[in-house]
Amino acid sequence: MSLPEFKLLRPRSVEEAVGMLHRHQGEIQICAGGTDLLPSMKQRLFAPKYLMDIRGIDGLERIRVTPGLGVELGALTTLSAVEDSGFISKNYPVLHEAVKTVASPILRNMGTMGGNISLDTRCLWYNQSLQWRKSCGFCIKKDGDLCHVAPGGKKCWAAFSADTPAALLCLSAEVNIASPQGYRRVPIAQLYNNDGVDRIKLAKTDMITSIYLPESSAGWSGAYKKLRMRGSIDYPLAGVAVAVKYRGKTVEDARVAITGVNPAPHLIPDAPHALVGRELNEHAAMVVGELAARVAKPLTTSLLTPEYRREMVRVYAKRAVMAAGAASSN
Amino acid sequence: MSKENFSIIGKPVALVDSAGKTTGQGKYADDLSIPGMLIGKILHSHLPHAKIKKIDFSRALELEGVVTVVIGKDAPNTYGILPVGHDETALAVEKVRYVGDNVACVVAETESIAEAALELIDVEYEPLPAWFDPEDSMKATANFIHEQRPSNLEKDYHHSFGDPDAGFAQADVVLENRYVANEVTHAAMEPHCTLASFEFDPQTGLEGRLTVQSSTQVPYYLQHKLSIVLDMPMSQIRVIKPLVGGGFGGKSEIIPLEIIAAVAARKAKAPVKITYTREEVFLAHRGRPRTIIDLKTGIKNDGSITAVAAKVIQDGGAYCSYGVVTILYSGALLGALYDIPNIKYDGYRVLTNKPACGAMRGHGTVNVRFAFESQLDELAAKIGMDPLAVRRKNLLKPPCITVNGLRVQSYGLPECIDVVARESKWSERGKNRKKSRGLGMACSHYVSGAASSIIRSDMPHSTVNIKIDRDGGVVVYTGASDIGQGSDTMVAQIAAEVLGCKLGRVKVVAADTDLTPVDIGSYSSRVTFMNGNATLRAAEEIKRKIVAAASRKMACSPEDVIMREDVVYKKGMSPQTSSLLEKVLGKKDDAPTVSGHVEGQILRGSVQQKRKEEGPKDKLSFEEAVTAAMDNTGALTGSGSYAPPLEAKGGKHKGGGVGPSPAYSYSAQVADVTVDEETGEVTVNKIWAAHDCGRALNPVSVEGQVIGSVWMGLGQALQEEFVWKDGLLMNAGMLEYKSPSATESPEIESFIVESIDPEGPFGAKEASEGSLAAAIPAIANAIYDAVGVRLRESPFTPERVLSAIRAKNNLKKIEMTNRVDPTAPHKLREHGGSLWFKGRGPKRHEDDPARRAEHAD
Amino acid sequence: MKKELIELKVNGRRHEIAIEPNKLLLDTLREDLGLTGSKRGCDDSSCGACTIQVDGVPMLACTMVAASYQSDNGGNEITTVEGVAQHGALAAIQKAYGDWGGSQCGYCTPGFMMTVRALMDRNPEPTDEEIRHALSGNLCRCTGYTQMYQAIKAAITAEQKGMAAK
Repeated sequence: MSLPEFKLLRPRSVEEAVGMLHRHQGEIQICAGGTDLLPSMKQRLFAPKYLMDIRGIDGLERIRVTPGLGVELGALTTLSAVEDSGFISKNYPVLHEAVKTVASPILRNMGTMGGNISLDTRCLWYNQSLQWRKSCGFCIKKDGDLCHVAPGGKKCWAAFSADTPAALLCLSAEVNIASPQGYRRVPIAQLYNNDGVDRIKLAKTDMITSIYLPESSAGWSGAYKKLRMRGSIDYPLAGVAVAVKYRGKTVEDARVAITGVNPAPHLIPDAPHALVGRELNEHAAMVVGELAARVAKPLTTSLLTPEYRREMVRVYAKRAVMAAGAASSN
Repeated sequence: MSKENFSIIGKPVALVDSAGKTTGQGKYADDLSIPGMLIGKILHSHLPHAKIKKIDFSRALELEGVVTVVIGKDAPNTYGILPVGHDETALAVEKVRYVGDNVACVVAETESIAEAALELIDVEYEPLPAWFDPEDSMKATANFIHEQRPSNLEKDYHHSFGDPDAGFAQADVVLENRYVANEVTHAAMEPHCTLASFEFDPQTGLEGRLTVQSSTQVPYYLQHKLSIVLDMPMSQIRVIKPLVGGGFGGKSEIIPLEIIAAVAARKAKAPVKITYTREEVFLAHRGRPRTIIDLKTGIKNDGSITAVAAKVIQDGGAYCSYGVVTILYSGALLGALYDIPNIKYDGYRVLTNKPACGAMRGHGTVNVRFAFESQLDELAAKIGMDPLAVRRKNLLKPPCITVNGLRVQSYGLPECIDVVARESKWSERGKNRKKSRGLGMACSHYVSGAASSIIRSDMPHSTVNIKIDRDGGVVVYTGASDIGQGSDTMVAQIAAEVLGCKLGRVKVVAADTDLTPVDIGSYSSRVTFMNGNATLRAAEEIKRKIVAAASRKMACSPEDVIMREDVVYKKGMSPQTSSLLEKVLGKKDDAPTVSGHVEGQILRGSVQQKRKEEGPKDKLSFEEAVTAAMDNTGALTGSGSYAPPLEAKGGKHKGGGVGPSPAYSYSAQVADVTVDEETGEVTVNKIWAAHDCGRALNPVSVEGQVIGSVWMGLGQALQEEFVWKDGLLMNAGMLEYKSPSATESPEIESFIVESIDPEGPFGAKEASEGSLAAAIPAIANAIYDAVGVRLRESPFTPERVLSAIRAKNNLKKIEMTNRVDPTAPHKLREHGGSLWFKGRGPKRHEDDPARRAEHAD
Repeated sequence: MKKELIELKVNGRRHEIAIEPNKLLLDTLREDLGLTGSKRGCDDSSCGACTIQVDGVPMLACTMVAASYQSDNGGNEITTVEGVAQHGALAAIQKAYGDWGGSQCGYCTPGFMMTVRALMDRNPEPTDEEIRHALSGNLCRCTGYTQMYQAIKAAITAEQKGMAAK
């Protein structure tokens, strides 16, 4: 399968890149690692007139620690680089756990942090070749008027299928965004729309340049549990991240987030109440599992059934909480 | 293990083509190109069943770089792999029969131009009602998928051997269950590719011979079918098989692109290459059909099986393919594993509007074996017998002929069972039981080639020629198709062993219809047995000539001439003499290098040699012996062929030609699994697999084949399946078709059992398929041992396992498998989305299942 | 579409070629440079048959735009399976894959060669778990991976012996 025709742009600076986004608004696509975009382009899900390869921009591929402030992960930092960072695994274990489950080792060498948080939503009725999509009469996300997984409604339920954003939600990460108007920082919790089509709050001229992990989240113990059929390669069919801050044996603060089941990753709002101020135990973990399953709204976007995925959100959330507890006592 | 003293047979050797594979120098079909070569891309149907009213490709032709467009009427002759199933055409002529059926082919200068041109072809369809479920499809009264197949029934067979009713009456326990094995596919790593080119005939000045280089397991069948579709004599068609990146049956018949490329090359008047996208590979399919098995087995309290009755329905897809053979294997291979006195079989091969199913590794036996071995464990539990003991109780006593006419000679199953029982510590499994962990065992078997070929001819199934010329090189011309299983290496080993030369001296020229004699192909695990025997006979013929000459040189009788490792010596002489000599010359005894000084003894000839050498000798080099045999002649040639013996050809009943084989391989396996009772995830910790391959010609290769088979069975057991929605394949790619990665692939330990078959080459039988089938029931039985749930629908995905566990524990039922109760599955596992909703969706016929919900509303 | 001139550095050699801007690196290697060792297996970036190395890091050539990997800024040194054998002999891993059955049909083998070489370069004494993990981005349909592990261990031993001999 070939790629559709495009002109390749290779900016050398963020300013140049943002200028190109502005100039070619609506007909340009940013490409970093390309691991999600290029297969989709082969399937003609995207056929931009311009493809902007931002890999040549200096300074976006680094992990920079600023004592007192936290860590800045450049948008082009590869997932492998984050996985291999001893600093990240020590201070932000939930991110380390999540990043090492993304796709496969080779794909992590290519895929970037910026790419992972801006991943397109996925659905079996959407991530298919042009020929296949013709056979189903297309879908609401691309070229059609019918959502095959929720045909009565008008909303696209394609699932947000990146692993790291669940961890980043638990860490209260922020995203640095460049635009013609300058830079702005947006909490990752405010980045997503929970809509399969319009998934992310980025304007056509916006570009994510880095991700900040606040120092206040450093040292929290954490765990990430991912549902998939294979132990590698696959996108998450459900993912649960848990980060817990302890004072002694007591939970001082905690966050739980899910991904892979809804059109956006979600923090579980009531989870902290279930955990804060007590010692972690199986009962608390089960309560968190119930809370997480209530937020999860999987539909038939994947090969595993929605009922099973929802049930697994419950089980995996419970297990992630217990694992985060076990990690802290080590 | 036998004690024969072979020099090459039984030794682990690297595949003769392995360096080409590890360096990237080896060429697969898609690596080939020819000057002026164009690229073909196929337009596929987006409807499951429809009449083609009009195809207008004028807009496509206007696109710069498009050379031509080929459609059905350019080559309307029908073909099919089976003589009884000629129901395919190169491209659809009147109607399309599945989503993905072949409608037109664009030939263009580049892939991207061809892809763009596909969007410019306008096809007008008239939708027809479609069938996706075989049990529904059999109820059809009109609009049949093929007009000549009423009720969409491709073929049904009804066999009864012994007295099944009496057998069931004798039984103390009879069980009846329905099992479902969902559809799986080969997913060989190499997508199919064909490069076709014509040359001009210098005599007529017109288009002449056709050369097709293709990823095929059956070059000679391809040559034959090309001649039918193109109306050309076979002599004018040359098929060459380059390296093939895996087949598993998926390249064992004529795949549409192979015919289309040739038709396109003719119309474009230029070489044309077509390479399937991965999605097209899934749509071409020919995989293992979804199979519904209603199985009934009777057993006595002492463990002896009294009767088996199986009703099997196979969802065959839109074309016959190998279907008639598949449905027959499913019944025939109920026999020849255990001693079963009474067998009843009703098999139905049904057409549906989906990609055609065909032959896949373990052809026909796998799904029925899953059912049988699962039910046998249930029966063993009912009569309170150990699963292993019940299998030992029902062993055959070869040599024998089974009730359904299968001749069994070598039978290593008892030893296979002993080996896996010992290695897995089966008898101690009750001690230190870990929660949710269990062991399960199962057995399987397979043919070493079919005794009767599918083309119903008396010709030998394999012929091999060998040439030794004055360079001292041994060239084997074999039609055997190496698809990665190592047949080139097998042939080289046999030739080298018989001729007593080093392996490096042998060159194998394989699978080129112009150069190599007919071999019917790499399928049904026939190559080692049949082509190996032909090679053995060809080598023996040529050896006789060398021995005759050498005996004169050494003044001894031909019976006393021994050829071994490039040395020809008199019986009684120690072959070490040569090693001593080589040591003096500074050569290592085990050096794989070919002997012979570069002085050119052979070119000079033996008369000149005589001047240097006086009197009879005790020992000759390979070159000297060959030279002597070549006195006054040119190259030495030998030819051998193999046809299965009449005694192996089975019974006379209708369909009795499928199942009989000259020899059967046997396998026993034990699987160790852990089940996560909260998630339903099954982890296979280890599988012990013992396989009786007669004799292991190349142990490293045999182990690789056994492990690969077991592993492929594991994929089918746990995670591989086609998921459909109204005829749309939801997972037509490697991302969503879950072929196991290294992460969840367990350790598989293989054990070779050598029963030394009386008719196999050096006693060898098949090694590449027989172990697949046992893996699935071994895992099912282990899951039962671990958590007490019986999975009767494969694959045992976490949702199916969890549903069963919750049902067993009387927990709140969660609809995890789209309303298919895994304990009593009765309909297709369809994807839960909706293709059609209130007038929106693709333009399907109003009776299409996709629109039935609409009527129900 | 108009072709553009680009420069790639592959297996230590510079190549100046004219290609379309949308051409995949895999197709460029195979069609324009004749390096057909890297294979196309899937179209959805899942199988790893096209694995090459860029500056020693395994990547999927089917998921890379060739013009993005030009050698104009010092980096982007591309290694394909054709660059693995050196000094006129098979690399230890190539020999071992033959000897131990690591390769059957061989179609996935070039990708595995690139992945395993990168592992051995980075981690000369990997544990079983590290090997399994490293291989998890390449699919094989023949071997079940088992004999690959034996081959990799044999290659590591052979390399260590080779080092000791030097």
